[in-house]
Amino acid sequence: MTINKRISRIIKENLLRYIGVLLLIVLGSFTFIIASGISQNLDALVTTFTEGHKQEDLSFRTDKAIWEIEELEKAANGIIEESYSYDAAITDSLTLRLLSKTEKVNIPAVVDGRMLSGMGEIMLDPAFAKANGYTIGSQIKTFEKTYTVVGFVSLPHYIYPLKNVYDTVVSPNNFGVGLISQEEFASIQNAATIYAIRFDDRTTSLNKQAAKFRALLHEKGIVDSEWIDIMNNKRARTVWASITGMKTMSIPIPVAMFLLCCLIIGIMIWRMIRHESVIIGTLYAQGYRRKELIRHYITIPLLLSIIGGVIGSLLALPSIAPAVLSMISYYNVPVINIETNIVNILIGILTPLLFLGLSSYLVIRSELKRNPADLMKGDRQKTKVNTLERSLKLERFRFSTKFKLREQLRSVSRLTFLFLGVTSASVLMLLGFTIMNSMNYVFSNSTNDTYRFEYEYAYKELQYGKAPDGAEIFSAGRFYSENNEGIEFYISGVESNSTILTLKRSVGNPLPNNQTNITKPLADRLGIRAGDTVSLINKQDGKAYTFHIDAVADSYAGQFIFMPIAEFNQQLKLPQNSYMGLWSTKKLDIPEEQLLGMKSLSETASAMDEFMGPMVSMVVAMTLIACVVGLIIIYLVTSLIIEENKSTISLFKIFGYRRREIKSLVLNSSTFVIIAAFIVSIPIMTASMDAMYGYLGNMINLVLPTIISPLYVAICFAAIMLTYQLSKLLCTRKVNAVSMTEALKLGAE
Amino acid sequence: MFIEVSNLKKSYTTGEIRTEVLKGVSMRLNKGEIGVILGPSGSGKSTLMNIIGGIDHGDSGKVIVEGVEITNLNADKLTDYRRGDIGFVFQFYNLVPNLTVGENIEVVSNISKSPLNIDEVLVAVGISDKKHRFPRELSGGEQQRVAIARAIVKNPKLLLCDEPTGALDYQTSRSILQLLEQVNKKYGTSILMITHNTAIAAMANRVFRLRSGEIVEDSINQMIIPAERIEW
Repeated sequence: MTINKRISRIIKENLLRYIGVLLLIVLGSFTFIIASGISQNLDALVTTFTEGHKQEDLSFRTDKAIWEIEELEKAANGIIEESYSYDAAITDSLTLRLLSKTEKVNIPAVVDGRMLSGMGEIMLDPAFAKANGYTIGSQIKTFEKTYTVVGFVSLPHYIYPLKNVYDTVVSPNNFGVGLISQEEFASIQNAATIYAIRFDDRTTSLNKQAAKFRALLHEKGIVDSEWIDIMNNKRARTVWASITGMKTMSIPIPVAMFLLCCLIIGIMIWRMIRHESVIIGTLYAQGYRRKELIRHYITIPLLLSIIGGVIGSLLALPSIAPAVLSMISYYNVPVINIETNIVNILIGILTPLLFLGLSSYLVIRSELKRNPADLMKGDRQKTKVNTLERSLKLERFRFSTKFKLREQLRSVSRLTFLFLGVTSASVLMLLGFTIMNSMNYVFSNSTNDTYRFEYEYAYKELQYGKAPDGAEIFSAGRFYSENNEGIEFYISGVESNSTILTLKRSVGNPLPNNQTNITKPLADRLGIRAGDTVSLINKQDGKAYTFHIDAVADSYAGQFIFMPIAEFNQQLKLPQNSYMGLWSTKKLDIPEEQLLGMKSLSETASAMDEFMGPMVSMVVAMTLIACVVGLIIIYLVTSLIIEENKSTISLFKIFGYRRREIKSLVLNSSTFVIIAAFIVSIPIMTASMDAMYGYLGNMINLVLPTIISPLYVAICFAAIMLTYQLSKLLCTRKVNAVSMTEALKLGAE
Repeated sequence: MFIEVSNLKKSYTTGEIRTEVLKGVSMRLNKGEIGVILGPSGSGKSTLMNIIGGIDHGDSGKVIVEGVEITNLNADKLTDYRRGDIGFVFQFYNLVPNLTVGENIEVVSNISKSPLNIDEVLVAVGISDKKHRFPRELSGGEQQRVAIARAIVKNPKLLLCDEPTGALDYQTSRSILQLLEQVNKKYGTSILMITHNTAIAAMANRVFRLRSGEIVEDSINQMIIPAERIEW
C-alpha cells in the first residue's frame, strides 16, 4: 500500500522517541535471553556434574573406622566411600585442604591438565591456583612434602570451596583444596577420616534416609560427628542461589520492560490516530477498509518489536557463554558445554511481538471503530477534560503548580507510564544497593556487633573444665523444626555471663545470656516469638527436645538459639562441665589433632571484602542500567508532553514568557511524579527484597535482612534526579524549537 | 504617534519561489485609537500584525511602537515587549483546553508586572460566573470573551485582534465588538484589529485597506458608529 510509505517518514520524524522504545525492547529481550541462558546453563552444568560425579548426600566422621562398608551400603541402599582430609598450612594465612582422591562418591573431574597418576602429584582447585600463582607443572610445598601440580580439579562437594560449611563467602587467597592420592595420606599425621554416602533412592526424603542410616551406624556401635547433609552444605548449595536468582530475574525484568513498552507504544499509537483522525476519516470515505488501516498503524509496533527482539537476541547470544563463564568462575564446576536454547531465542523475539502487537491492535481497533464523519471532525479529544482534572480543586495553588498538576493528570496513561517506569528504574537501582547493604550489614556490622572473639575453636571430643584466659566455652548441636525439615540451625550453649556474645533486643538494649535467646532471622523463619515453648529435633540423635524461648535477639549473625551452657548440657544429657569449643580473643595453642576446625573472624572479614569487590561492580552496573531505563522513560514522557503542548508553548511564547519560564512549566511538570514514584519504589523494593531473601533462606539457609541505608537511598534519588535533568536537557531543544506561529495556525478551539 | 510603520517589507522564500508579503507598508495609529486592517486572504494582514506584535520580523523598514523601534530589538527584548505591552486576541481563541477560565487568564497575569484583578476583568467581559469552567464547556462567544479577558488582564498598551469575530455568529460578533469598544474606552487600550468584514471598519478611528502587500487605503473615520449599531 502506498500509504505505508509514510511509516519510515513517521519514524524519522520522531527518531529519538522510537529509538527509546526500541532500546526498552532490546533490553527486555536481552535480559530474558541472557538471564535464562545463564540459569539454564548453570543448572545443566551443575546437575550434570553433581549427578555424573556422584555428589555425596551427606558426610560424617566417626569415632572408629567402618570396616563393614559393603554391608552398610546394602542396608542403606547407597554407596559409601572413605576419604581423608588434612588442612596443610602453606603460610600463616594460607591453608590448603588436602583431600584424598575418591572413586565412588564425589568423583573428581579434571578441569585442566591430567588426573593424578602417582605419588608426589597434586591437583588444585583452579581459583586457589590462580589466586596464589600456581600453574600446571609448578610445585607446591606443604609441611614436609613438595607436590607437583599436574592439573586443576573440580569436586562435587567443593563446588563453592568454603573452609567451613558455616562460612558464607570463599576466599581463594586464604583457602583452597588440593587432591592427592590416597596413598599420600599414609605419611600424613592427624589426617581426618571422612565418610561420604550417596543414596541410590533419589526420590525419598533425604532426612528420612539419613535418619535410617544413622540408626544403622548406631546399631553397629559407631558414634558419628560432623554430620553434614548436602542440603545444608553451603559448599554445594550456594551455586543454587545464583541459579535461582538468575531464573527469578529472567522473568520480572523483561516483563516489566515489555509492559512499559506496551504502555508507551499504546499511548503513541493512540495519539497518532487521534492526531490523524481527519486523514483516517478521509481514507475511510475514499473506501479504505478498517483492516487495511489497522494493518498500516500496527506496522510500527510490529516493526519495533521484531527489530528490538532480534537485536536483543543477537546481542544476548554471544554474551551467554562469557556470562556463564564469569558466573561459574565464582564456583568450581567443569564447563563441558555451553548451550544456546533456541526456544529462549524464540521467546525473546516473540514475546515483545505478542505484547506490543496485541496491545497496539486493541488500541488501534478501538480508535478506528469511530465512523468516518466523526473522525473527519478532527481531534476533539485534545480539548476534552477528564473527570480527574475536573474534580480537582486547585484554587489555592500557585499558577505554576496548577499548570504542572493539570499537565500530568491530563493523560492518565502517560502518567501511569511515567510513574511505573520511574518506579521500576528506582526499584532496580535500590535493589542493587540494598543487596550490598544487607550483605555488608550481616557480615560486617552484625557479626562484629554480636561476637567479640577473634578465633573459634571446635574440638573433636568433649572438653571439660574451664576456658583459658581470654576465652569462653561453648557447645552446639544441630537441630531442625518438627514441622519444617528444611530449616536447620544450631542451638548453642554459652556461658551465662559471656562477654563475647552480645545479643540485643530490637530497641537496642542488650539481652542477658543467662536465658534462651533466638536470633531474629531464625525466629521469623520458624514463626517463634518470645515466650513460646518449642519442640525441636536434634539431628544427632533424632530426638525431640523442648525449649522455652525467652527473647528474640535482633541479630543477623546467623540462625541460632543461644542458651546457658549448663542448661544445654542438662537438656542434651551431656556432662555438666563439658563443652565442645572455645571462643577466644587471642590465638590459642591447641594441638591440631584435638581440633575439628578453627575459624578466624578477620579471615571471614577479608573474604567478605574480596566478595564485596565484584558486588560493587554489580551494583554500579545495575545503577547504570536503571539510569538508562529511567532516562528513556522520562525522555519519552517529556517529549510527549512537549508535543501535546506545542500550541500552549507557542502561546506562552507569544504572551512573552521567557524560555526558562516555559521550560520550568513544561519540563518540570513531571518532578512531583518522579519524586512520588521514587518514594513508592522504597516499600516495593523492601517487599521484593523480603520475598527474595525468604526464597534465598530456603535455598541456602542464609537469611539476610532488608536494611535500607539512608545514604544509598539518597544516592539512588540523586541518580534518578540526575537522569531526569539529563532528559530535560535533551528535551530543551524541542521546547526552544516550538515556533510562535504554531498557535497562529490553530484552527480549532 | 503610538504606532508608526514605515516602508515595511517582508518576503518568504520557499524553494526557488520568493513571495513578497509586505511591499513597503507604512501606517500610523494614535494612542487610544481603534485601527482596523481590512483585506482579502493573502494580502499580508496577519504578517503585518505579527510584526507589530513582535512575533515576526520584517526584512526592512521600521516599526516604532510608543517610541521604541521594535525592528531593532533582539529576541529577549521582543519577549519583554510582548510581555509588557501587547495583548493578543485570536480568531479561534487559542485557550489552553485543560485550564479553567480563571487559570487561562492567570497564564498571562502570572507574568505581568501589574496585572488587573482577574475577577474584575471577568466581570468586565461578562463571564464572572464561568471562572471555574473549562473552555470546552463554553460557547464560542464566551470563549472569545475569555480570550479578551486574558489579553487585557496585563493592561496592555496595544491589543492586537486577529479576526476576533471570524468564528462567531452575528449577534455574538456584535457583543464581542462592543466588548472591545468598552475595553478601549475603560482602559484606554489602543486596538488594532484584522478583519475581512468591512462593516466593522465603521467602529474604527482609522482604517487601513491592504491588498497584495500594499496599503491601498489609509483613512481616518470621521463617522464612527458604536459597535452596537453596526450591521452586516
